[in-house]
Amino acid sequence: MGIVWKNRQVLRMLVLRDLHGKYRNFRLGYLWSILEPLGMTFVLWFVFSVLLGGRKLGEQPYFLFLSVAILPWWWFTKGIAASTRVFRGNMSPLTISLLPTEISVIRVLLVSMADFALSLPIIVIAMIVTWTFPGPLIVLFPVAIVVQMMLMYGVGLFVASVSALVPDFARIVRIVLRAMFYLTPVLYSIANIPEGARDISALNPLVSILGLYRIGFWPTETEGAAQLAVGLCVTVAFAIVGVITFRRLESRILKEA
Amino acid sequence: MASIRIQPELFAAVEFDDVSLSMPRSKRRGGQGTRNRIRRLAGESSRQQVPVFTDLSMSIMPGESVAILGGAKSGRHEFLRLAAGTLLADSGRVRRQARVVPILDNSRCLTAAYTTRQNIYLTAGLLGMTPGETAQRLDWIVDMAEAGRWLDTYLRGAPRNMRQRLVWTVSMATGAQIFVIEKSLVVGHGEFMERCWSHVEGLRAAGVTFLVTSDDPHDLERFCDRALVLKGGRILADTSVKEGLELVRPTPRTDPTDQPEDRDDN
Repeated sequence: MGIVWKNRQVLRMLVLRDLHGKYRNFRLGYLWSILEPLGMTFVLWFVFSVLLGGRKLGEQPYFLFLSVAILPWWWFTKGIAASTRVFRGNMSPLTISLLPTEISVIRVLLVSMADFALSLPIIVIAMIVTWTFPGPLIVLFPVAIVVQMMLMYGVGLFVASVSALVPDFARIVRIVLRAMFYLTPVLYSIANIPEGARDISALNPLVSILGLYRIGFWPTETEGAAQLAVGLCVTVAFAIVGVITFRRLESRILKEA
Repeated sequence: MASIRIQPELFAAVEFDDVSLSMPRSKRRGGQGTRNRIRRLAGESSRQQVPVFTDLSMSIMPGESVAILGGAKSGRHEFLRLAAGTLLADSGRVRRQARVVPILDNSRCLTAAYTTRQNIYLTAGLLGMTPGETAQRLDWIVDMAEAGRWLDTYLRGAPRNMRQRLVWTVSMATGAQIFVIEKSLVVGHGEFMERCWSHVEGLRAAGVTFLVTSDDPHDLERFCDRALVLKGGRILADTSVKEGLELVRPTPRTDPTDQPEDRDDN
């Protein structure tokens, strides 16, 4: 965190520059950061509640239920997928960069986070349209953001440094992310997880994090404090593993530049 | 290492203590047998670690201008990166008294899809300047690099030599006390080159330290007062520029750093 604070001005510039570059060529510009997830949410909502509405998935209103989890999920996928590309492609900036090497990873994670922040109005819109408002536990929403940031920092560092040295890893990450989408209660509720798999699913920190996002609206969406504690521990473990892996591989990454 | 460490109390400007480094080189996988053939077919290349430096020690005092000499693959590029801290030694220690600003192949770090102004801020940011500091020196940079006409156009459309002028000027604008410079002590032509000369000579007179490689012996003879000759991972000689150039002259000068010629051809 010290790194971020020390380089905050440069980071701010880099992130704004990236965001600008990302949306510059589109007619609708920054609106895409809302439209894209909104469109995807609509598709999933349509498929899983209108077309396949027979089985009860999640809570009502389903659109809100979906969007509260799918936006953080998107942030996670985009950020991690972007991390796999950080140390590939044009590495020449690394040969002159006097900034800490982590900054490159933090930069793409912050870009994905900014996208997430820009897409948050979708939840507000969904709340107004469905006229459902959260209870006092919504205070856990920002907590979930912080925990997710920590998780992404660890996973991002790990994924970025390993795929710098083993390009195949980036492909594996993509498949794992896709699998995780279905293994994590995004489309469905925590209650849909079969009894036998509960204990295993607690090890997936995203289960707890998405639960924290949803708990303000649907208090039944977490398994309780024990599961949250497990999720938090796993998150911290990921963060530590990520940082250690990165430290150990940093000099080899720099040699690739 | 979280960020490049600076030790202001250090007596030398840059100091290497028993520095060893090996760099990965990919080679097309050779060998006989079905197993190797299949791996070759799959595009797998073997990577080996080639030693570049072994237990190299040296120190450079503040205010010195040192020419780094050596033939092909003598590791001049790696030497400069180690000094700047953008490459980490496998063993041994590199210490520096102040921030070391690299001027390597910086024009490859520019982004053609951004405007000149944006590129100035980005490059300066990589070199550790905050946007505020860059803004203060923007006028000087634009003036020096003669970039006023292209300031808010995309770099794609700007003349090629402008990029060189730009990175050179931005790097100089950091106001660092130590520079490592690869082949671009001065850039550009004619009048701009003269201004580069007067700038770097002014800095040298003011006690700024330079580590320089160049393909032009005349530049080195004009600017440097000491030469380090690299060979076989060690310092072959620590001598005057004239003698140093004599030592490396027999070997034909080729580009030592770019294009590792044995890069995997897949």
